[in-house]
Amino acid sequence: MTYLETRGLGRDFPGVTALNGVDLSIELGRTHILAGENGAGKSTLVKILTGTDRASRGDILIDGRNPVEDPSLYKNVAYVPQELNLFAQMSVAENLFMPFSRTGHGGLLVNRGALVEEARGYLERFGIEADPRELVANISVSDQQLLQIARACTNADMKVLILDEPTSSLTRVEVDRVFRVIRGLLDRDHAIVFISHKMDEVFSIGDDYTVLRNGEKIESGKIADISEADLIRAMSGRDIAFEEHFRPQVPVSDTIMTVRGLAGQRFQDIDFELRRGEILGFAGLVGAGRSEVMQTIFGFLKAKAGTVTVEGKPWALNDTAASVDGGMLYLSEERKHHGIFPLLSLRENIGISILSLTKGTLGISSGREREAVQKIIDEYGIRTSGMGKRISQLSGGNQQKAIIGRAMATRPRVLIFDEPTKGIDIRTKTEIYRIMKGLAEEGVGVILVSSELDELKKCASRIITMHHGRITGAFDTAETNNETLVGAIFGTEAKADAN
Amino acid sequence: MQTKPLALLTRSPLAGVFVALAVIFTLSALISPYFLTPYNLSVIARGLAFVGLITIAQSMLMVLGELDLSLGVIGGLCGVISGILMVRLGVEPYSAMLLAVLLGATLGLVNGLLVTMLRLHSLVLTIGTAGIFGGANLVLTRGVAITGIPKDVQYLGRGDVLGMPVPFVIMLAALAVATFVMLKTPFGRYMYAIGNNQAGARMLGIKVDKVRLLVFVVAGAIAALAGVLMVARLGTAQPSIGETWVLAPIAASVIGGVATTGGVGSPIGAIFGAGIIAIIENIIVLFGVSPYWQGIVSGAIVVLAISFDAISRRYLRRDA
Repeated sequence: MTYLETRGLGRDFPGVTALNGVDLSIELGRTHILAGENGAGKSTLVKILTGTDRASRGDILIDGRNPVEDPSLYKNVAYVPQELNLFAQMSVAENLFMPFSRTGHGGLLVNRGALVEEARGYLERFGIEADPRELVANISVSDQQLLQIARACTNADMKVLILDEPTSSLTRVEVDRVFRVIRGLLDRDHAIVFISHKMDEVFSIGDDYTVLRNGEKIESGKIADISEADLIRAMSGRDIAFEEHFRPQVPVSDTIMTVRGLAGQRFQDIDFELRRGEILGFAGLVGAGRSEVMQTIFGFLKAKAGTVTVEGKPWALNDTAASVDGGMLYLSEERKHHGIFPLLSLRENIGISILSLTKGTLGISSGREREAVQKIIDEYGIRTSGMGKRISQLSGGNQQKAIIGRAMATRPRVLIFDEPTKGIDIRTKTEIYRIMKGLAEEGVGVILVSSELDELKKCASRIITMHHGRITGAFDTAETNNETLVGAIFGTEAKADAN
Repeated sequence: MQTKPLALLTRSPLAGVFVALAVIFTLSALISPYFLTPYNLSVIARGLAFVGLITIAQSMLMVLGELDLSLGVIGGLCGVISGILMVRLGVEPYSAMLLAVLLGATLGLVNGLLVTMLRLHSLVLTIGTAGIFGGANLVLTRGVAITGIPKDVQYLGRGDVLGMPVPFVIMLAALAVATFVMLKTPFGRYMYAIGNNQAGARMLGIKVDKVRLLVFVVAGAIAALAGVLMVARLGTAQPSIGETWVLAPIAASVIGGVATTGGVGSPIGAIFGAGIIAIIENIIVLFGVSPYWQGIVSGAIVVLAISFDAISRRYLRRDA
């Protein structure tokens, strides 16, 4: 039975129509996949469904009534955002039941004991291993992600739960746990709206789907009636050869970078070589220490021991400025915390890396900067209404393209991509793969850290696996299989066939 | 893409505070016949010069995401030290002023080193250093003004050039330099980048701590310059110099669009904000508001100004 419905929904912003004529029908007891590329209008739609934004046109009905007239209806729709949004310095239990008045823990004083007791049930149901009294800052990222979902479910009025990329930091096992929770909610006659770019998840959990593209509803139907290729085509509006692989096709030559005995925060004994003409992949679970290794080589984190040599010369550790001057760049998985300058324009965000090109005797030349930035915008297909727009108003994919374009403009010798396609749609993913391949073929050393085996197998010439801060194997992508890789990632095989 | 001039004006963060300054200026001219007299304007300009210099220094730090509560005290301490050097130690007056400015830079360096090397919170740290610098002032002067500042340096505080008070012209020059550096040079871009996202700036290879340190040093020097010019204006080195330079520059910067959280705004906006406060304070005096009420009136107007700004910003964001 239809519980949440929109008819001809539209939302205009000055100069842009973010949504136009969107019909949506969410039924209880079913999982509805909301599919679309970055910037297709999913976020705007979610904001309208949850009452944080108003539609310019069209109707929205919750349980047959109009929430614009009765805002209390919005309580029936809960939303779990993609990014972690918890109170880090408060306990798990407090996070779960905040705000207390909504969850029946109101009153003059907070009864900590009651909170902790009630929390245990939720933690068990959601498979969260943390103690309810622990500070959220001290629990694992995957537990935090599950806690966000659990928190939405403490809302007694909740009938529709919108999950935006709920599995981005989760391992397979934890994803299965989320899916069990989802199925449990469906059995209790709730509806799930599921947003994800991961096709295997979409097809394993989805019942219905609606595809948005450029703010319009392209099609909707039952997941059982559509193929993966057709769904991707509907989202991107074109055919994408998603079986294609992006491994560099040039002969591998000399060694660009050698790492010996590197140790640092949460990892030790790291030895590997990066060779010209290859993309070197790093596989492992979240927390295996891959990002820490890369940030240490780059100089962002402190090295405890070990040496790095680039093109025969010793590399200065612990100094990001020296790394960048020497031609090494690290593109962090945490776009928001390490990548963008949120209050500055797209132009300033890109311009900051090409100041040596745009600087004249009278300071930075606006003309030259505008020209250089426009070139990068065109070359990397960054979609924006203008370069003066604040970068935080662009979609995640376009922010990522701006960060990559900015890095390319410095002509790097070694480029480290850390989860470059997290939260990014399939078409943009393919564009990023193509960029990495082109770079490697031009002779730039490329390292790709990724939690998605598919991605590594598509792009990397070799894959190094890490487990608990140590390297557990190095494999030629063409000559290995998933079981071997997964075994090394879980640390079950001490040492596999080297190189 | 062609943007209409009016849209461009309202979208620019500077436009709002400029319009507010123009409106307040016009209203003041309309309601008080004395407001536009050359004498009154020069009084406003001279007063604005000193708070303005501190505002420039504070706004630079605020763009970085820092706050320095010791700037006013640095001004006061360096002011009295320039007086001691000239009067008691017989140092050539201009050299004495220069030495005092260098001392200001050194005190800024102390703040900056503590903030960058020990990763201290600048607001809290400078509450402490302000206590130390202010205490040193009292130890040196025992609270008594140093008189007998030579007549020729008093020109720097009391004289006119190009029909404007000398300290006002110095403040405008400092503003021009600060604006150029912040908006047109790589160093300035790094300041905004750091204020937006310090970790991100480090990821791009920006020498974050060097930039922060240098801005603390420059801010200390500018504060000392304000103190020294104040001594030249008064003709005596008063230990109380700088007492009113702590909160007004922060309020002025916020009114002018500089966020206390860093990353946005410019010294020009902050000076517009300081101008608004200066005119309001002047009008209160011209209207003969009882001195007991002046604090309430000027405080209330600051609250109104930033509330208006916040509301209009929210309104603009909803449309954008």
